[in-house]
Amino acid sequence: MSKKAGNDSIQKTLLVTVVLSLVCSVLVSAAAVILKPKQEENIVLDVQRNILNISGLTRNAKALSNIEVADMYKQIKPRLVNVETGKFVDASAEDIMAYNQRAASKQPKESKTLPAVEDIASIKRQANIAKVYVVEKNGKLETIILPVHGYGLWSTMYGFMALQSDLNTVKGFGFYSQAETPGLGGEVDNPLWKAKWPGKKIYDAKGVVEASLVKGGADPKSLYKVDALSGATLTSNGVSNLIKFWMGDNGFKPFLNNLKAGDA
Amino acid sequence: MALRKLLDSLEPHFVKGGKYEKMYALFEAADTLLYSPKDKTHNTSHVRDAVDLKRMMGMVWLCTFPAMFFGMWNVGFQANTAIAQGLATLPADWHGALISLLAGNDPASLLDNMMYGAIYFLPVYATVFFVGGFWEVLFAVVRGHEVNEGFFVTSILFALIVPPSIPLWQVALGITFGVVIGKEVFGGTGKNFLNPALTGRAFLFFAYPGQISGDLVWTAADGFSGATALSLAQQGGIEALQNTMSWFDAFAGTIQGSIGETSTLAIFIGGAVLLMTGIASWRIVAGTLLGMIVTSTLFNIIGSDTNLMFAMPWYWHLVLGGFAFGLIFMTTDPVSASMTNTGRWYFGALIGVMVVLIRTVNPAYPEGMMLAILFANLFAPLIDHFVVEANIKRREARANV
Amino acid sequence: MSEKTKDILLEPVVKNNPITLQILGICSALAVTTSMQVSLVMALAVIGVTAFSNLAVSLIRNYIPGSIRIICQMTVIASLVIVVDQILKAYAFDVSKQLSVFVGLIITNCIVMGRAEAFAMKNPPLPSFLDGIGNGLGYGAVLMIVAFFRELFGAGNLFGIEIFQTVNNGGWYPPNGLMLLAPSAFFLIGLLIWAIRSWKTDQVEEADFKIAPNTKFSGAH
Repeated sequence: MSKKAGNDSIQKTLLVTVVLSLVCSVLVSAAAVILKPKQEENIVLDVQRNILNISGLTRNAKALSNIEVADMYKQIKPRLVNVETGKFVDASAEDIMAYNQRAASKQPKESKTLPAVEDIASIKRQANIAKVYVVEKNGKLETIILPVHGYGLWSTMYGFMALQSDLNTVKGFGFYSQAETPGLGGEVDNPLWKAKWPGKKIYDAKGVVEASLVKGGADPKSLYKVDALSGATLTSNGVSNLIKFWMGDNGFKPFLNNLKAGDA
Repeated sequence: MALRKLLDSLEPHFVKGGKYEKMYALFEAADTLLYSPKDKTHNTSHVRDAVDLKRMMGMVWLCTFPAMFFGMWNVGFQANTAIAQGLATLPADWHGALISLLAGNDPASLLDNMMYGAIYFLPVYATVFFVGGFWEVLFAVVRGHEVNEGFFVTSILFALIVPPSIPLWQVALGITFGVVIGKEVFGGTGKNFLNPALTGRAFLFFAYPGQISGDLVWTAADGFSGATALSLAQQGGIEALQNTMSWFDAFAGTIQGSIGETSTLAIFIGGAVLLMTGIASWRIVAGTLLGMIVTSTLFNIIGSDTNLMFAMPWYWHLVLGGFAFGLIFMTTDPVSASMTNTGRWYFGALIGVMVVLIRTVNPAYPEGMMLAILFANLFAPLIDHFVVEANIKRREARANV
Repeated sequence: MSEKTKDILLEPVVKNNPITLQILGICSALAVTTSMQVSLVMALAVIGVTAFSNLAVSLIRNYIPGSIRIICQMTVIASLVIVVDQILKAYAFDVSKQLSVFVGLIITNCIVMGRAEAFAMKNPPLPSFLDGIGNGLGYGAVLMIVAFFRELFGAGNLFGIEIFQTVNNGGWYPPNGLMLLAPSAFFLIGLLIWAIRSWKTDQVEEADFKIAPNTKFSGAH
């Protein structure tokens, strides 16, 4: 035990501390630096998968390989939109890539507080600029994918609403992040429920948001209504509310009107 | 006394060394149910009373009868009313077939309503009794103790706090969980710190919320959708509630809800007997009422623009949901409640406060009685501990003077 | 494999299981066991961390000053956990998203620290490494058992493959929602401990106190 006894001297303690810290920090930073590109690619691909899944371009983006996702995603173009004026914002591709709407909605400079009366979706702050995704074919708009979010029962649900070129018919709708009760509100992620959305209309002839969930089952022939999630009144209300908000005057309605008039 | 003789002649087969030694628990249960056991307390430190635990539990069981019979009638009344108004149809399963065979669907007929309700309630109760009894006997046999009479009470209470349309397999699962996890794993009656009936219901509530909450399950007829009084109040406020029912409707119990929970009146009839005989602790009941009244009045005073439940007065809290049933039959469970007299006040008050808090502030659960009682059950031993400690301190101080 | 090596490796799986006997590492066992795939990745991560932290700590055990030994162990463990977390983010992104903070929380998992302090500080590298794997396996085994029941009864799936078709997907099986909530893991681990201790009665703890038997009738009326 003579060796051990020498361990407790101050010099030895310092030496071990320094050497151990050095070795560990080299190991950790090496792992972080080497793996960083791969991780960033994963994050980008994850967002792309979510968008593809909801946009109606593919049924099951999870099953696609990374290359297929990247390839399919080429037809989707992110753009920035000023929510209030409803016009596209000029920005370089890098700026668009780097813009994070979720982070912006927390910055006082880049967002505004919603008064309680207008805050139907219970989101408290709304980013001034939204990141939307456009699918064009032969220079003509085919699908527009709008980011939406709102509060359900336990969590803020983040998702996308994809509209067809008439800017009224739903192409796909779904969430990529939510923490509602598993088995009840959590059924917003059920593919069978999501499959009820494509083909529904958002606005009636007067431009009023009509799309919402109906308790106890909607008429399957209805143009606007979808079944509420059974046993999950508050999550269902949350979904209806966030559609009403984001498709309404404080949401993307000005933008959609401009787009229709060719004036965005 | 032929029966006594028969039992006596059978006894040697069941005692140690007999042929059916393992089945002693069953024999003992039957014997002591029929006759008070011979071996009463006989040591110096006991108070002797004509009532033993089995007679006491029998009394509780009888006291649920008003709520039970009213509940059966009301199940039929609610369903038949909905059918008569064309809002629902007779269930397409065997319940419906049996009902159309045995009775009509006239909501004004006492017999029709009772029959309808019995066809829903009796299978639920039978399932609870046999499945729960099975576990009870199994544990008694394996562990070599006696079958406990508390199960009579647990079974009827559990059967009365589920919605009428509950599937029977869920009833079986619920009572299994209640008896095994809520009671037997801790060593059986007397050692459980949670109320077994409520534990079983809580299991169902979180496992299969679709069949025990929401708007579809409270009236046992196909296609009917109607919110319970509490969720009505949560969504539309007290005005919306008063549009559909008067306070007296809710008090008498002609509203939809769990089988035995709707009629505050019927529950209080049984409750009066329990309180007068001293089986239920009046301190717990008073504490719960007090806690509820103070908290709900406090919310009334605070007020809220967005949460309509804030405005609900205490006398509505009293008659809606499971409050009355829980107040009389669940909070007073002698095993899982506080045991000291001072502790009982605190225990009751905790339930009263929690039930209003859950009903008012929590967005997901309009009904709070079940969770409030289970919550207070957890604190009962702690409350007793502090009461006892305080007593010791006080006496010490007195002795030292 | 010698008898002793085998003991070091396999004893923690049932006989001296870190979760069911020592009741360590419960927190993450409740949180990550909703699906088997996630549990498997978590189990592998913990096996890796315990094994290599044991190895590293054992290698330098003769140089660690007693006064800072806990900090030294923590440094090793924390570094390893960060590396594992980085690898998962790079190669198993979906699962790492579901595990969220719980990979990072391996640092605080009592099993890792406990083995480093109790075993690796006193034993040579190879046995320490095996001990780490063994304890990781014991943890992983419980995780997989709990996840099996939770995923099967809660979602009708195993490893994401449909076994019971649930009602919401057009099938017959009504999923048990409680199984998807953390408390169910608590019940399951409790039942598992009950089962193991009925089988291996030597694991039963001594009672804190004994209830005195009823006084016998002595005729003193």
